[in-house]
Amino acid sequence: MPNGDTQKFDSLVLGGGIAGLAAALDLADAGYRVAVVERDATIGGKMIRLSKVFPTLDCASCITTPKMAAAAHHPNVTLFTMCRLEGAQRKDGKLRARVTQMPRYVDPAKCIGCRQCEYECPVMVPDQEQGGFTARKAIYIPFSNAIPQLALIDRDHCMMCGKCSAVCPTGAVDQLQTEREFVIEADTMVLATGFELMTDFPARAYGAPGLGDNVISSLQMERLLAPHGPYMRALRPGDGKEPESIAFIQCAGSRDLQLGKPYCSRVCCMYAIKQAMLLSGALPLADLTIYYMDIRAFGKNYEQFYNNAKAMGVEFVKAKPIIAGNNPDGSVVLRYEDQEGGSGAVSREHDLVVLSLAMLPAFAPEEIVPVSAATDGFLKVPQPKLAPTLTEMEGVFTCGAAAGPKDIVDSIAEAGAAALGAAKYLAAQRGGRAA
Amino acid sequence: MSKLNNCQEQPKIGVYVCHCGGNISDHVDVAKVVEQAGGLDNVTVARDNSFMCSDPGQELIIEDIKSGKVNRIVVASCAPALHESTFRGAIARAGMNPYLYEHANIREQVSWVHHGPGATDKATALVAAAVGKAGELEALEPIRVEAEAHATVLGGGVAGMSAARDLAAQGLKVALVEKSPFLGGQVAQLDKTFPSNEAAGELLSALAAQVLADQRITVYTCAELSEYSGYVGSFKLKIRRTPPSGEDLERLALAKDAAPGEFVPFVGVAAWPVPYEAEEVALVSGAIVLATGFEHYTPPMGEYGYGQMPEVITLPELIRLMADESATGEQLVVNGKPVGSLALIHCVGSRQIPGVHQPGPDGKLNQHCSRVCCTATLQAACELREKFPETNVFELYRDIRTYGRGHEEYYLNAGRSGVIFARFEPEAPPVVTQGGEDSALTVTVLDKLLAGEELAIGVDLVVLAVGMEPRDNQSLVEKMKLPVGADRFLLEVHPKLRPVELPAAGIYLAGACQAPMDTSEAANAAGAAAAKAGAILSAGFVELDPFVAEVDESKCVGSGACVQACLADEAIEMIDTQVGKRARVNPALCMGCGVCVAACEQGAIELSGWTLGQYEAMVDAIVAQALPQGA
Repeated sequence: MPNGDTQKFDSLVLGGGIAGLAAALDLADAGYRVAVVERDATIGGKMIRLSKVFPTLDCASCITTPKMAAAAHHPNVTLFTMCRLEGAQRKDGKLRARVTQMPRYVDPAKCIGCRQCEYECPVMVPDQEQGGFTARKAIYIPFSNAIPQLALIDRDHCMMCGKCSAVCPTGAVDQLQTEREFVIEADTMVLATGFELMTDFPARAYGAPGLGDNVISSLQMERLLAPHGPYMRALRPGDGKEPESIAFIQCAGSRDLQLGKPYCSRVCCMYAIKQAMLLSGALPLADLTIYYMDIRAFGKNYEQFYNNAKAMGVEFVKAKPIIAGNNPDGSVVLRYEDQEGGSGAVSREHDLVVLSLAMLPAFAPEEIVPVSAATDGFLKVPQPKLAPTLTEMEGVFTCGAAAGPKDIVDSIAEAGAAALGAAKYLAAQRGGRAA
Repeated sequence: MSKLNNCQEQPKIGVYVCHCGGNISDHVDVAKVVEQAGGLDNVTVARDNSFMCSDPGQELIIEDIKSGKVNRIVVASCAPALHESTFRGAIARAGMNPYLYEHANIREQVSWVHHGPGATDKATALVAAAVGKAGELEALEPIRVEAEAHATVLGGGVAGMSAARDLAAQGLKVALVEKSPFLGGQVAQLDKTFPSNEAAGELLSALAAQVLADQRITVYTCAELSEYSGYVGSFKLKIRRTPPSGEDLERLALAKDAAPGEFVPFVGVAAWPVPYEAEEVALVSGAIVLATGFEHYTPPMGEYGYGQMPEVITLPELIRLMADESATGEQLVVNGKPVGSLALIHCVGSRQIPGVHQPGPDGKLNQHCSRVCCTATLQAACELREKFPETNVFELYRDIRTYGRGHEEYYLNAGRSGVIFARFEPEAPPVVTQGGEDSALTVTVLDKLLAGEELAIGVDLVVLAVGMEPRDNQSLVEKMKLPVGADRFLLEVHPKLRPVELPAAGIYLAGACQAPMDTSEAANAAGAAAAKAGAILSAGFVELDPFVAEVDESKCVGSGACVQACLADEAIEMIDTQVGKRARVNPALCMGCGVCVAACEQGAIELSGWTLGQYEAMVDAIVAQALPQGA
């Protein structure tokens, strides 16, 4: 595909996470041609990186990988990974999206995903796919069920030794690849750009997670619990000790006016409960404590899930602790007000502390798409009650965490509604006929 | 379908065993299962993968088919309900008939319930059985049925109206069936909606206007589903309309001057005319969307004094009082008495705990959270403090669940405006008693925010934030054989994989009949349901799995035993042929249960995909595994 090339579709879905994939598949099933544009090197979003999902405790992979494969093989779906949306405008009725294909430094037409290059590469880099707890190579396939199964080079760490080029059986390594811009023309767009976890919280409250002080983020805990996780078992990263006592701090960044995030991140109560349940299976003797403000188990069968966790012996303490320091043995000291016991400020030690961090928007639309973000940073939806997926731009819809924190169940339902919105728009364009 | 009918050849069976990322391999020795499978008759390939359902896993199968190594597939993984269709799809992509496939469930039936060597033995036996059956498989073609470009929506609330509008927008004709004479459902009982503060009446008027103006939508009020039969693409329905009676007459009296499409506060959107005599309409519909909504929990006599003390009311009752235009001035006036102080009690009829709460008349508890009441209660509290700053407002809660976008603001504002919160444990709920120092009632609560200190609060009004309950849908559930969850709400196939679908194809869920939802969430669910129904009906036909009974007319003697035994209406019938009466199956109606197979003395009926020969092969394989080697 040459530079400046234009490709035509009925709908562009920005974001290849579970919401984007669900919306794309619904549109494709209705007969519309869909382009899925994903910034990452693989589709699957946050969900494919999770361990198990509440409240059914299905493994996340078992639900996500078939959706990924279905999108990859659907005749009406085209995937564009490692692509960045530069701008989208509607002109003469058509939406023109300028997209930059970022270089993989590997020719996707030639790479067969054999991983010879990865085995040969001498450079070790902390693997963010594993919470930074293990290493990957400078040329790598993100993970075993990534789609597409194509290698990419991390140029920040590659030392250009040429070993990958030498071993590649198809001559796919291409260090001269550059960014390439192309245009996607479509009638509708679905913004399914998801979320990121907060990272820039003040160290005075929560320390710096993942730096060996045995304070980790909730997504890092997902990796510790995942099949093929970094240690294949739940160990604390600081020193490899099997933790005997694990604490979860809820609302770390959410519902916090000091941090400018007054909103509830909506999923943290349930995933902390889920992680505690999984840990009680992996480490039956460990003490598990969840420090919370309110337990928000509001979805279908969520309250029952919460009650099961209590029955399993997970301790729930109403408090919002800060991290007061580390002990020489690596344990973490929490300090909090004992509201229920009335003992004032108290301290307690845990071997490992998990921060249930706030969800932040992963996409800022300014100067890219003529829609605006609300004060919480997530996309604004002008008709939240009757058309919650409608954005301010004609023919452009949103779903999932792009329009505010949301769990998987709600994201998938909303993806269906966004797909419907796009399908209706397309049908109206075509004089009331479906695809 | 252009599939290789390579089942004519000698079976070459590929066995693929999934680790399910440890879900299976933590308890089953997958390598051993693979090794044993590799030694079975007709097995040419035996492999394993950490996630067979992933793309690389599916590619293993596709490669082996394309290279001619296999012509029948066995995957041993999770329950077929989860991924059978995934693997059939992969096989079809490789150009092979997707029914040359057998699934062995070694997760739900093995690794999740057995541990130790027995788990591996059972997995091995199940794989052997699947291989035995695979050797007997034949290529099948899906049953193709015409799909009527028409959908029926049951329920005329926000979910039902949204679904109807969205279905029509896809070019379908729609019947919208509503039990009452009004559209709008429970949202009509609201004043302002959170978090946008839009008036419920305006929302409903706008939505109803779209529905009523759409030529493709026919609205049947005062109507219920009276008969149901058929299948996806061609449901045969009867809608019975009856003249309004009971409560509906009272509501009609309130709305007697309303023009069609006009919203009447706390009643609904008038959708005239109402029927004067009973009538029945027959419809053929390709899909059905259930949007039957919810009911508010009604506290039993005496719960927090409800029904005994006139000063104890529910949140919907409070909303109505506050919406009254005469409710102005310094204080809210209820029953002619000014309210100087009031308490709102959360989780009434929600989050009930066995052994703590009293079950309802049906013996059931509402263990679920009703999701919307926290924000609705806080919204009311904020409005009270704003309108009547002299009124003291107390919120007695268990957890504040303002989870949604813009919901937390109500909690913040309530706190800022001076609402006082006390947190109670379900085991020690607030107690409401008559009389107080300067008040009509006293509420006593052990406040967990103050280390369990007992507070006695004098109030003039107690408001119960009643939860959402599933509507009594018993006749519909029985008629349509709908699945119901332990929480009594209608139960979807899978909350993530198929969140708005039911096991019966062509029937979808929208809104609070599935679980408590707010208006936005109900609108989203309706959109999702409309998208699925639209996709299935847009092609003009529907493909069904061919696992249905098939009659061998040369063996049939026309005894009619199969017709007697058949559990589905009209799925099998006797027809006249030149040699006398013979049985014939309507594949679209057959459920594939196999009762007729057992009933036929001549052995003239087989179930495609589950033939007696296939069963024998499975049993033989299991027995062979169970016997000691060489026996």
